[in-house]
Amino acid sequence: MWPQWMNMLSWWQWAIMAAIPPAIIALYFLKLKRLPLEVPSTYLWQRSIEDLHVNSIWQRLRKSLLLFLQLLIILIAILALLRPGCRGNKLIGERFVFLIDNSASMRATDQDPNRLDEAKRRAVQMIDEMHSGDVGMVVSFADTARVEQMFTDNRRSLCRAVEAIKPSSRSTSLGEALKVASGLANPGRTSYEESDIQTAEALPATVYILSDGRFDDVSNFSWGNLTLIYLPIGQEEAANIAILAFSVRRHETRADKLQAFARIENFGTDDVSLSAVLRLDGEVIDAAKIDIGGGEVEGVTFDLGATDSGKLELSINSHDDLEIDDKAYAAINQPRKAHVLLVTPGNEPLELALATPLANELADIDIQSPDFLNNKQYQTTSQSGGYDLVIFDRCAPKEMPQANTYFIGAIPPGEAWKAAEKVDVPNIIDVDPAHPIMQWIVMDDVLLHEGRPLIPPAGATTLIDTHAGPMLVIAPREGFEDVVQGFMLIENAGEGDEAGIYARTNWPIRPSFPVFVFNLLDYLGGGQRATAAGGVQPGQAVVIDAPASAAKASGKKISVRTPSGKTISLKESRPGRFNFTDTDEQGIYEALYDGKSFLRFAVNLFDSTESHIVPRKAFEAGPTAVEGQSGWKESRKEFWRWLVLAGLVILLFEWYIYNRRVYL
Amino acid sequence: MDLLPPELLARLEKMELISRKIFRGRMKGERRSRRKGQSVEFADFRSYVPGDDLRFIDWNTYARLDKLFLKMFFEEEDLHFYALLDGSLSMDYGDPTKFEYAKQLAAALGFVGLIRGDRVKIETLGQSHKAASPVFRGRHSMWRMIEHIDGFASGEPTTLAEGVKNFCLRNSGKGIVVVMSDLMDKAGFQPALRYLLAQEMDVYVIHILSAEEIDPDIKGDLRLVDCEDQDVAEITVSVPLLSRYQKTLAAFIETARDYCTRRGMVYLLAKNEVPVDELITGYLAKRGLVR
Repeated sequence: MWPQWMNMLSWWQWAIMAAIPPAIIALYFLKLKRLPLEVPSTYLWQRSIEDLHVNSIWQRLRKSLLLFLQLLIILIAILALLRPGCRGNKLIGERFVFLIDNSASMRATDQDPNRLDEAKRRAVQMIDEMHSGDVGMVVSFADTARVEQMFTDNRRSLCRAVEAIKPSSRSTSLGEALKVASGLANPGRTSYEESDIQTAEALPATVYILSDGRFDDVSNFSWGNLTLIYLPIGQEEAANIAILAFSVRRHETRADKLQAFARIENFGTDDVSLSAVLRLDGEVIDAAKIDIGGGEVEGVTFDLGATDSGKLELSINSHDDLEIDDKAYAAINQPRKAHVLLVTPGNEPLELALATPLANELADIDIQSPDFLNNKQYQTTSQSGGYDLVIFDRCAPKEMPQANTYFIGAIPPGEAWKAAEKVDVPNIIDVDPAHPIMQWIVMDDVLLHEGRPLIPPAGATTLIDTHAGPMLVIAPREGFEDVVQGFMLIENAGEGDEAGIYARTNWPIRPSFPVFVFNLLDYLGGGQRATAAGGVQPGQAVVIDAPASAAKASGKKISVRTPSGKTISLKESRPGRFNFTDTDEQGIYEALYDGKSFLRFAVNLFDSTESHIVPRKAFEAGPTAVEGQSGWKESRKEFWRWLVLAGLVILLFEWYIYNRRVYL
Repeated sequence: MDLLPPELLARLEKMELISRKIFRGRMKGERRSRRKGQSVEFADFRSYVPGDDLRFIDWNTYARLDKLFLKMFFEEEDLHFYALLDGSLSMDYGDPTKFEYAKQLAAALGFVGLIRGDRVKIETLGQSHKAASPVFRGRHSMWRMIEHIDGFASGEPTTLAEGVKNFCLRNSGKGIVVVMSDLMDKAGFQPALRYLLAQEMDVYVIHILSAEEIDPDIKGDLRLVDCEDQDVAEITVSVPLLSRYQKTLAAFIETARDYCTRRGMVYLLAKNEVPVDELITGYLAKRGLVR
């Protein structure tokens, strides 16, 4: 361990410092004053000196002892000012929070045996260095933070808590962990009418973040009493090749065929050649050789042919430092048609659009008149999740169904949605092509006769905007989505002879309309899920709808089989809906109803932040950047006290010599 | 300074000066001379030879032995006691100063001489060879003597040899001479003592050194200035230098002692720290100057 130096003085101070030794030497040689002393006779002294002149060099050296000592003191002072220190194990403060990252990237094996174990080892090392009376807390964090051990001075339980931290496959969020830490160090305030008074005494704490820094910067964080010390774990040269995306889609032209797409990124700097192997239900069905340059991304496509269902696994033989992202999974589900209810007093253009073969492939469409809304069957089916999508044409239910909805020329019940007064000929000025519903939709040739600009609830996305206001808006609602259209397609209007069906827009006769209807069915009807369920990331919740066959049955029993074969029973969170959160494991999960698999979904890492495993040198937390400390910079062992002590001892020695004549 | 405190006087009362040589005084003193003669103290017998004083024939022996024997007595005579003080500047150091010490010693020894009827002369080196100094005799002269000693002042510019030479010129008679000096003469003390040897005097050399000279308590870088000739010695006090000094001092003392012993002089090293009465009753009695 070589000392590390810290400069404590500016250049002019150093200049003064550097001038001292020559000054001492100059003073010494100038010998400004020998103290005159009158003695009875120099007779004996002269004779003594004569004897000593023989070995005058030694005498001179001996005489210079004081000079040497003075120079030594100055040297020591200079050394002390350089603040030498070395990687010490001294912890600063009395309260410590050990934030240990156990996200997916911490599984990287660039450190032996892996980063998490290295982080744990260092945490244990630091806990060992705690003084008695110091308290520590252990928090593990990935996408969420978990207090493994509350503040305690029991080092053994702290170490046990550290040892108990298990690697996860989750992404990382430091903000959560910092919130936990700051909640204890910066206790909340209680508001009184006139002033803020702190309810508890703030307790300063030192937070040691043992992580590879692969997380997003935390912006809205105030340090308060916390001192953040970031100890990066991992090697700078860590290389990784990751599958960042893997999905299965229907062939663009041949709908009966499936295609698998994968995106592979090389996070290292070297060019790599590797092979990707695709397995269906464990059988190798395809392989590809991929060359990826350093820092580049490659895409691979596999033609699957006509595959109804199965579990797809793509693996690459990258032999890199992080294994978890070398495999990706995708589930192909039995095509399941969406269950769509159209409630309309009669809407020929819409019914035509829903009757196209493609639309029929996606959904079974049930067309009912508005009276059906009062029917008991509707009420039970809609409230138990029997429909995937309900389209309300110029009518509205009393209660929103447990399904996605599409309102045409009507406003959903309740306070959330509102509409302004009717506007004549609103000009379409914008569409949102980024939204899946509006894909491939061109509205340039569409004219609107009239419409009511919508006032959507918060979180809504405007799909069609007119000069008067939004005319087509999508907004989320408790896990469902509602699309509301402010203009009617057709209207039964007129009186007497003029009574009849009037078109309120020319959209139905434009090519974009059937495409829109198809998108709508595809997006809101759950068509996407039917072919190949897009995966979720580890730790994320999955919403599972009970199969239509189970909708009417009461006491539904839904369970999920994890990739490792464990079966977990689910509880209904809402009629027909189940939430599954135990998605820590990567792989394909199967949702079972009565022991039969009806839905598969894949859990994949697919996180470029996690896969990019080169540890970050610094990150930003709140207003300040937190620099990674190669050692424990803050906990370095300082030598300057010892140097000052040595200087004092030498000073004492010099003083003693000067006074007691104990020269060499 | 009170040269002779009463308690010292009381101790000195019982003492007398002793000479190892036989001196003929001009007057009878209370001194027992080696020369046998008329006195009350019996010394020896010897055979009668014609011409001897019949008064000294021991008739009792004649009656018993039928032979004539002459009774011999110690003759009592007075003694010349000289105290020679070094009054150079270098003596003006120490606490008490070496000069004060020498004065006190001279007074004490002088007093012993006075009470025994000896002729006491106390002089300093600086005195010229022509200047006569008073002679004290008898107890009644004590105060005069003390006054005389008190009148001495240090700072005489004479060298040791010069002073002794003048002393010898002034005082041709025999007797006891006590030289009190620090012997710190760059020309050496030997020539000075040689003069005294030529006088055939009973010489006592009391080498007075101050505590500062025997164990100098100095430190640092010093420029030593000789008070007499302004000679300068630049020293840096160090242990080797001090030990070297001690060796030099020891050699110096040894040389003086050796020189004196070889030539029948009595050498005595006196530190100014040792009280005068202790020196007289102890050391000087041991060396045979007083009894």
